[in-house]
Amino acid sequence: MFNTSKIRLDFPILKSGIIYMDNAASSLTPEPVLQKMLEFYHDYRANVERGIHRFSQKASEEYEQVHRKVANFINAKSDDEIVLTKNTTESINIVANGLDWKKGDKVVTTLIEHHSNFITWLRLRKRFGIKVEVIKPDKEGIFDFKSFEEAIDDKTKLVAMTHISNVLGVITPVEKISELAHDHEALFLVDGAQSVPHLKVDVQKIGCDYLAFSGHKMLGPTGIGVLYMKKDLIERTQPLCIGGGTITKVSSDFYRLIEDSRKFEAGTPAIAEAIGLGAAIDYIARVGFDSLMDHERKLTEKICQGLRDIPEVEVYGPKDHKKRIGIVAFNIISLSPHDIALALDVSANIMVRSGHHCAMPLMNELLKKPEGCVRASLYLYNTVNEVNELISAVSEIAIS
Amino acid sequence: MSRVPLPYNPKILELFRNPKNLGKMKDATVTALAGSPACGDMIALYLKVSDDEVIEKVMFESYGCAANIATASITTELVKGKTMEKAWKVTWKVVADEVGGLPKIKYHCGILSVGALRRAIREFYKMKAKKPSWLPETLTLEEKHALEEEELAKVLSRKLKLAKSVKK
Repeated sequence: MFNTSKIRLDFPILKSGIIYMDNAASSLTPEPVLQKMLEFYHDYRANVERGIHRFSQKASEEYEQVHRKVANFINAKSDDEIVLTKNTTESINIVANGLDWKKGDKVVTTLIEHHSNFITWLRLRKRFGIKVEVIKPDKEGIFDFKSFEEAIDDKTKLVAMTHISNVLGVITPVEKISELAHDHEALFLVDGAQSVPHLKVDVQKIGCDYLAFSGHKMLGPTGIGVLYMKKDLIERTQPLCIGGGTITKVSSDFYRLIEDSRKFEAGTPAIAEAIGLGAAIDYIARVGFDSLMDHERKLTEKICQGLRDIPEVEVYGPKDHKKRIGIVAFNIISLSPHDIALALDVSANIMVRSGHHCAMPLMNELLKKPEGCVRASLYLYNTVNEVNELISAVSEIAIS
Repeated sequence: MSRVPLPYNPKILELFRNPKNLGKMKDATVTALAGSPACGDMIALYLKVSDDEVIEKVMFESYGCAANIATASITTELVKGKTMEKAWKVTWKVVADEVGGLPKIKYHCGILSVGALRRAIREFYKMKAKKPSWLPETLTLEEKHALEEEELAKVLSRKLKLAKSVKK
C-alpha cells in the first residue's frame, strides 16, 4: 500500500509546509539518497578506476554498480550499454555530435520536444546540411501515426522524440514509432527525461537505440544523467570528450580508445552524484512503479477536473487520462503565467513553473501561447490535500 | 478580499487594470520592440516626436505580467512632454520607485519598458543620422536586458485584444 505520509518523512524539506509542484523541472531528494552520497565523502572519498588502495577500490565498486543498477532499472541487456553523463541534454548531444552526418541525411523530430532535443538537430542542419522534419500533433499533443509514416523515409538517419511532453504530459507511442524507424533502418532516440522518473521504461520493449534521461528529476542529485545505447552502436558513436579513462594505449604519437561504453566517460566522473543516482533507483524500486503511477494518476485526474471546472482557466494536454501523466499545464485567461506562479508562491506556498518551459515551438506554434503557461507537476510525495490547495488557490486568483 | 491576491501593491494593480497610454499608435515617429527571452514578456513602444525633439505622444502594447504593464504605463507617463535627452535619463530604478517598488523577482519587468524606450530613442537618431553627445556609444543595462523578438511582436496585438475583452 502506498503510504504518502511515510514517504514524506524522507523529505524534511517539506516540513516547512511548502507545496512542491515543480517536479518536471527537478524533483526533491530524499534522505537515504543524500546519506548514501555523504557516505562516499565520509568513508571512502577517492577517485575511481585508477587506484590500488582500498578507498579507490570501494569507490570504483560503488560507481560500477550504478551502471548495473541503471541497466536493470530500464531493462538494458548489459551494463556496458549504460553511459553516465551530466544530464539528458549532454546525453542527446553525445548522439548528435557522435554520429557521422552527411548532407542529405534526415532527422525526424516533433513539435513537442524540449529545446535540448530540438536545437541539437537544427544545429546539425546548419553544420552538415541535413534535413530536419518536424511532426506536429493535434492541440492535445496526440500524434496521427500517418504523419510519421509520411515523414520517415529511407533517407532518415535518426528519429528523435520525447516519451512524455514536459508541457502537455502526454505519453507518446514510442514502441510503434521505434518499429517504423527501424523499418527504414533509421536510429531511434527517446528523450526519457519525463518518463523514466514516473513509469516503468523498458528499452527492449520500446526497441529504442538511444534513451536519454536525468537523475535530478527522479529523486537523485543534479549533475548526473544517463545515455543508454544499444551495444552495437558503441563503436559507431564517437565520444564528445576523450581523455583520462577512455584509452587502452597512448604513446607520443598514438592513442587507442577503449572499445566499450567507458569511452564516453572521460575524466573523473561525478562519483558522489552517480552513487546518489543508484540510491534514487533503489528508492523508487522500493516504492514500486505500480503504486507510484496509481497515486500520481489519482492526483492528476483531480487536478485536471478541478482546474477545468474553473471558468477562467484553460487546461492543456490530453483529456484522456490514460494518455498522460502528472504534468498539468494551464492558464488563467487575461493573467500572465508569471503572475499566477508568483501569487501561488507568495500567497499559497505552492511552487510551480511558469513560462515557455524550454519548449518554445510547442508554446508558439501548437498552443499559440507565446507568453507561456503555468505548469504544476507531481511526484510521489504530493497529496490530495495539496492538490485541493492548488485548485482553490487558482480559483481565488482567477476571481480576484 | 481573496486569500490569494496577486502579490503587488495597489498602485501596480490599479495600473495593471487601467493602464495609461495603452494601444497602437498609427502616426508614430518611431517604434521599438523589447522582449525578455527569460520569461517571454514582450512590449512595443510608440513615440511621436516633434521637430524640436520633444515627445508629444507615447503609447505602448504589452502582453506581459502585471508588473510589466504597470511599469510600461508609468514609463509612458514619465516621458510624455519631455525632450529626448530628458527621457533618456529615466532609468528602470526611477520607474520602479515610481510604481512604489516591485517584488525582487519582477525587477526585470521594469527594465523592459525602459529598454524599449531607449531602443526607440536610439532608433530615432539612427533615422535622423544624428549622434547627440549625451547618447552613449555602448548599450546600457536596460537595453541589454530588452532583446528584440520579432515573432513575438506579431501575436502581440491579437493577444492584447483578447485580454482586454476578458477583463471587461
